Amino acid sequence: MKNRAIIIFLILLAAISVFIIIGDFKSTRPDKQGENPFDLNLDEYKDVAPELIKYKEVKNFKLDIKGLAGISYDNGNLYVAGDSSVQVISLEGQLVNNFPLQDEPYCIVANLVKIYVGNENTVSVYSSDGKLLSTLGPFTENSVITSIDTWEENIFIADAGARKVYRFDSDGNKLGEFEGKTGKDAQHGFIIPSPYFDLAVNTFGDLWIVNPGKHMLENYTFEGSLRSFWKASSIKIDGFSGCCNPAHYAFLPDGSFVTSEKGLVRIKVYKPSGEFDGVVAAPKKFKEEGYAPDIAVDDEGNIYALDFDKKMVRVFELKQTGL
Amino acid sequence: MEKKAENRREFIQKSARLSLVLALGGVGGFALTKTTKDEWVWQIDPFKCTQCGRCESDCVLAPSAVKCIHAYDLCGYCDLCGGYFKPDANELSTAGENQLCPTAAIERKFIEEPYFEYIINEDLCIGCAKCVEGCTSFGNGSFHLQIMHNICLNCNECSIARVCPSDAISRVKSNEAYKVKGDFTTNT
Repeated sequence: MKNRAIIIFLILLAAISVFIIIGDFKSTRPDKQGENPFDLNLDEYKDVAPELIKYKEVKNFKLDIKGLAGISYDNGNLYVAGDSSVQVISLEGQLVNNFPLQDEPYCIVANLVKIYVGNENTVSVYSSDGKLLSTLGPFTENSVITSIDTWEENIFIADAGARKVYRFDSDGNKLGEFEGKTGKDAQHGFIIPSPYFDLAVNTFGDLWIVNPGKHMLENYTFEGSLRSFWKASSIKIDGFSGCCNPAHYAFLPDGSFVTSEKGLVRIKVYKPSGEFDGVVAAPKKFKEEGYAPDIAVDDEGNIYALDFDKKMVRVFELKQTGL
Repeated sequence: MEKKAENRREFIQKSARLSLVLALGGVGGFALTKTTKDEWVWQIDPFKCTQCGRCESDCVLAPSAVKCIHAYDLCGYCDLCGGYFKPDANELSTAGENQLCPTAAIERKFIEEPYFEYIINEDLCIGCAKCVEGCTSFGNGSFHLQIMHNICLNCNECSIARVCPSDAISRVKSNEAYKVKGDFTTNT
């Protein structure tokens, strides 16, 4: 009789245990979600064929600076702008100089004698030792200065808020501005859905401006006439995806474009003609849905990516191909 | 003797008044508690939402009371919209095979070259967040989910909130019943 009671008890215990295990297995609590049938799977676009990756990451260095805004290369040093200062860093990652900023920076470019820092609606011009020399602007109420570059006596300023490019001379006189319209009747010029609007002048003196809403790179005369353009609109590796890409870009010494994209974060190289050349860093190298790294290129063609999420400069070198 | 009788009468009258005031206060307080309690409704914080798909599958209603809404002031009105088109769309047209939404609940409307407007058809939306994921990944994040209070039953315990992996659903006051993205959003 006693044994029978024990057996019944054990059977009941086993049944309860099985019930609890099945209940737990079928539970939909937050950490036990099954497959989401509506998941937007982008994994296939994050994988890049190894033969397309032409660069390798050779080093990186952490930055002790808050609120990273942009990076520029000039004369053997990197210039990194943050919340309240500019850090001048050697290519080995050593801090060379550091000077405070008066306004919150949005972008930076350095040339041999001056450092230009874009703020919300002004551009501050500093000497190489960090002394404020002059201020360009203020521009408009909606201005957001996202890129600056110089060529000889010309300063070009990209204003994502006003969707305009301003041209100044080195004395601070405004020489002109343009909206990227191809004619007086043109309905639109630069399409800028979010504050990503980059420009640069290559080593041959050609001014190229990103039209991010159209996934285009457009070549303009200094007066603002469109000369040529190329376009690459696709989520696949050879194109630009999303609403506003490339978010940043820089030139290699031969005039090739190094582009950085947001959304599906990746860095790629396009030939001067606009033909896709290869990949510098695949999406898996970056934080998912992270920020598009700002780009700088040195005289040797090494690429410096300012990783906003990891707060570091990542250095990429062209892989040596077997002879 | 008369004075004593008056005092007694006054005392009874005062007591009666006080009782009445207390009773009215109690009833009023109780009513106020009820009203306040009913003023709380469930809502999604779009900045916490991770587009897990549970709003579609775990609401007691079918289709879900969660719908996609569109913050037009954030939208880039893009031709290549990450929330409207499948990543591998053959072309940027309204053909069904190019659309990301499983129920074709987003209407694409031409504004002027090269701008397009995207309008959510709430009757078709099932709250799956597929478009939200696409817009958040590739665009400005103007598509986002909200619990629609003309549909929501305001259950005591929201069955979606119970399983939400990012704790994005909480009770909010009914006079601020929606957490719509707008000027306060941050850049992505």
